[in-house]
Amino acid sequence: MSERRPLKTIISEHKIVFLIIFILIIGCSFGTFFIFDVLSAQNPNRIMLATTTSTYDSGLLDYLLPEFTQKTGIEVLVLSVGTGQALVYGEIGDVDVILVHSRSREDAFVNDSDGKTPYGINRACVMYNDFIIVGHENNPAELLPNDNITIVMTKLKESIDAGNSTFYSRGDGSGTYSKELSLWSYISVTPDVDWFGQPKKYTETGQGMADTLQMTNQDANSQGYTLIDRGTWLSFNDTYTTLKILAKSVVGEDNLLNPYGVIPVNPDLHSHVKYTSVLRFVGFLTSDYGQNLINSYTKNGEKLFHAAFGMCNTTHNCPTTEEEVSFWTNYQQEFT
Amino acid sequence: MSNEIIEGILEAIYLIFTLNPEVWSVIEVSFRVSLISTFLAALVSLPIGSFIGLREFRGKRFLSNLINTFMGFPPVVMGLIVFLLLSAGGIFGSLGLLYSTTAMIIAQFLLAVPIIIGTGKAAIESVDPALKETVLSLGANERQLWWELIKHSKKSIIAGFLVAFGQAISEVGAVMIVGGNIRWATRTFTTSIVLQTRMGEFGMAIALGIILISIAFILNYGLTLLQGGDK
Repeated sequence: MSERRPLKTIISEHKIVFLIIFILIIGCSFGTFFIFDVLSAQNPNRIMLATTTSTYDSGLLDYLLPEFTQKTGIEVLVLSVGTGQALVYGEIGDVDVILVHSRSREDAFVNDSDGKTPYGINRACVMYNDFIIVGHENNPAELLPNDNITIVMTKLKESIDAGNSTFYSRGDGSGTYSKELSLWSYISVTPDVDWFGQPKKYTETGQGMADTLQMTNQDANSQGYTLIDRGTWLSFNDTYTTLKILAKSVVGEDNLLNPYGVIPVNPDLHSHVKYTSVLRFVGFLTSDYGQNLINSYTKNGEKLFHAAFGMCNTTHNCPTTEEEVSFWTNYQQEFT
Repeated sequence: MSNEIIEGILEAIYLIFTLNPEVWSVIEVSFRVSLISTFLAALVSLPIGSFIGLREFRGKRFLSNLINTFMGFPPVVMGLIVFLLLSAGGIFGSLGLLYSTTAMIIAQFLLAVPIIIGTGKAAIESVDPALKETVLSLGANERQLWWELIKHSKKSIIAGFLVAFGQAISEVGAVMIVGGNIRWATRTFTTSIVLQTRMGEFGMAIALGIILISIAFILNYGLTLLQGGDK
């Protein structure tokens, strides 16, 4: 019977061999992944989408994208960032297409006046959802269900002025923050952390929607309010039972509606973007098939997004030109 | 919230035993990135670190201070630097490596290099000078001396490697910036926990945390056995 030699002895007798094998394994595995990553970056069937955290966190894309991939073989990689960041990624050409919600900044993104090459072309309005204002049940600002947005903002301002309420603002470059600023502008207020002699009553969290909601919930005096998109709210309303919806869009007003636009990055500006695949992706989103999928997505029994291609014009504060509608019709055929 | 923790533990067990593909993808990406980057860093840094530890030369003090500073280099800043280099407008932008595991490996590698150089250097320097003299008096050349010192300080060197690995697998800022937290592609334990928390999926987040800690424990235990330091 031969004596079993411990592994340690075997290794120390053949140090060099083991060292070389070890270096080869590490080197080859890195090399393989390096080459794989370089090749897949050139693969036209692999596009990069930058979108907002609120869209991604709602789960909508995980629901839509497998359908698209199954139909076309195109894989969509999603970067979930703020609207501001998504727009910048589109500007510098790190992504192929963006899906965001901030109309004024979207317009700047596709702006081609003065012979400027636009960052993105052929914007399409895809869907909308709505913002709500949530706060603690005791509702120190005394918001009522039928208050329109001007009354809501006025009541909030007066309550903050009196030191009875605290507003938690995102304070970042997100679409939600842009929306909040526009709501304050209806009553000619430019919010500030000092809040006209009531410091700490207007808090810029600088964090994501979920963190901001968490901070609202933790408000020491149970006087917190925040503006939030319905999708994120539905993910958390079971967790934060003391928070309630205190203001929402009333009939006939669309100030709290939140339209989402999809914009392909301009291939004239960044020749490496996979424009042909992006056209099919937007065609999918705007086709009847894609729009029906968006409408059928629910969370806790509630519909999160309302499909809106081609009809944003009239109702939702999100004009779409005839030209845009007819442009995308060509790319929708594939999905009917 | 204590409910969440119990739910998290149950969910962790469930996810592991049902071989949940998403969890496996996260485990695979985390370990691939952390292991390759730390091993690559070790290959580069150990010779450099032990060389600095062994030799005396002009500017050694300055170099040591520089390395010590870089050992605490903020990972998000490293993430930002690698991002700017690999971004479409950056020097290496044409490779299209941004948002890939390679980008994550590069960032983690750059973070691990100073740690392993620093600990390797300290390990060599902390060897008893008497040993050095004995080895030299026995007629050893510099290469043999180097090898002897490495053997004597291998525990400290492995400890340095573990520190670097621990940093790599628990790091979140840099891999978030250069990897982009893309599902099935660049999502790691840490970035996935950030996402799940944001989505209100606390159970899943805790489950991933538990899996991460357990795997790290098993790995550390294995390496301690390898070190022969079971005391």
